[in-house]
Amino acid sequence: MSAVIEVSGLTKRFGKFTAIDDVTLTVERNQICGLLGRNGAGKTTLMQLLTGQDFPTAGSISVLGGNPVENASVLGNVCFIKESQRYPEDFQPKHVLKSAPWFFPNWDAEFAARLVDDFRLPTNRRIKKLSRGQLSAVGVIVGLASRAPLTFFDEPYLGLDAVARQIFYDRLLEDYSEHPRTVILSTHLIDEVSDLLEHVIVIDEGRILIDKSADEVRGSATTVSGTRAAVEQFTASREIMHRDGIGGLASVTVGPLSAEERQSATAAGLELSPVSLQQLIVRKTKVSSTEFEQSA
Amino acid sequence: MTTITSSPSVQAASRKPASNRVLAVLRLHFVNIPTIFLWPLAILVTIWLVNLAIWWLVDINVSAPTDLAEARDGFGWTGAATFIFVYMMVVAIQAMSLTFPFALGYGVTRRDFYLGSVVAFILMSLVWTVVLTAFAVLEENSGGWGLGGRMFTGYLFGAGEWYQRSFVYLVGMLFFFFVGSAIATVWLRWKASGVTVFFIILTALLVALAALVTVTRTWPAVGDWFATTGYYGVVAWSLIPAVIAAVAGYFILQRSTPKNS
Repeated sequence: MSAVIEVSGLTKRFGKFTAIDDVTLTVERNQICGLLGRNGAGKTTLMQLLTGQDFPTAGSISVLGGNPVENASVLGNVCFIKESQRYPEDFQPKHVLKSAPWFFPNWDAEFAARLVDDFRLPTNRRIKKLSRGQLSAVGVIVGLASRAPLTFFDEPYLGLDAVARQIFYDRLLEDYSEHPRTVILSTHLIDEVSDLLEHVIVIDEGRILIDKSADEVRGSATTVSGTRAAVEQFTASREIMHRDGIGGLASVTVGPLSAEERQSATAAGLELSPVSLQQLIVRKTKVSSTEFEQSA
Repeated sequence: MTTITSSPSVQAASRKPASNRVLAVLRLHFVNIPTIFLWPLAILVTIWLVNLAIWWLVDINVSAPTDLAEARDGFGWTGAATFIFVYMMVVAIQAMSLTFPFALGYGVTRRDFYLGSVVAFILMSLVWTVVLTAFAVLEENSGGWGLGGRMFTGYLFGAGEWYQRSFVYLVGMLFFFFVGSAIATVWLRWKASGVTVFFIILTALLVALAALVTVTRTWPAVGDWFATTGYYGVVAWSLIPAVIAAVAGYFILQRSTPKNS
């Protein structure tokens, strides 16, 4: 296993605003990695830095073994699909499909044609006249059919309906298993993609909150519910991420539990349930923002 | 962790030399021929047809030979063909403002994008020079389409030989392409405020230059220079701002980021 992306001490400031704050992370080759976070958390800026589209204020970036800025041998293996992708004047999807193979040596025209059918994309209409969902479909098709060794999707499916999003997930998984590559997917539809992800990076206010395998993240929190007294007794000595309660019942989210702890919880008549990735991230990002307010 | 190890050959096969990407950018500029060539050509032909109608109306309504000669001399003062230069300036601006962020998403470096664009602008300049020269030669040899009309051989393009006129077309095209793209790179890098500052500085420099000439009482020398350099000489000198714009555009683009505002 080797690293495709290695970032250390990366900082990006826009004037007084710090968009990326001393970020250090590693992404291994050939996995689907989720870059999750709220709006304005720094997801797009991080991706722009990783693709050499923007310039770091401090820190170092290595992508596919080199600095991505103006590095043709690195960028030649990169495809970056943005939610707000701009297209040349009066372009139609057919122009995009015609020109993409010139830039992506692994381009699969047949696959692209199949995706056009799947997404019911009109290829002879000006991109300016496309619906929001159709516009997103253009980007998704390029991102998938390009088969770039390192593909970035930044919120790729704004306006895509649930059916189209499912098509995207299915095609991504199918094609990824046949043609392994590294995919970095930024999104806030966390629950929808959680089964897709092998690695999770959570970013908030420019800082990395979580950088773990998806399995580890899923196991990193448990919800303990039962009678208020029993729950409080069990969780008394633990760090509590979240607390809910109605009347005599309580439901508390805590960190990872060992096998013995699980047994003793069940013995005490408590119910244990996993926390969804989305809930976990919502809780993590809330905690950090209150901490941030206190320190400010 | 479910990680699949790929064969190294897949990774190796996808590495291509950078020179291909300059060519790819060049082809990208020409992928939509209707917008960059057929539309402006159609508009140019339409303007020409409207002009033909006007020349014909003048021809049938003015009977006295001296009046007609005077009217035909007036036909020379036309800017009808200049539209195509402005259109190409817009093409250059859009190449930087729209095609640049698009190409960067395809993993193109700024350098390769700019080199491909420069070649595209030069090629387009040559194509339009050929088109305009063809019209001009026809216009000249048909006695102004039989009506003494002048759209491609107006005074604006000088009174010399056909190849001297072609030189004006070519230099004009290069000037508009590269000045347009340079201003667009200023916008990409420093946004609207940058363009405003740029024009303020440019205006200040021109005013300062005029003031310098006035204070040193060297206007006659300036006049002499224009007289001795001649019309085609002055046109040739405008290659200098075109080249400066082309080089400046390269360096400004090097630090530009494709932002969405």
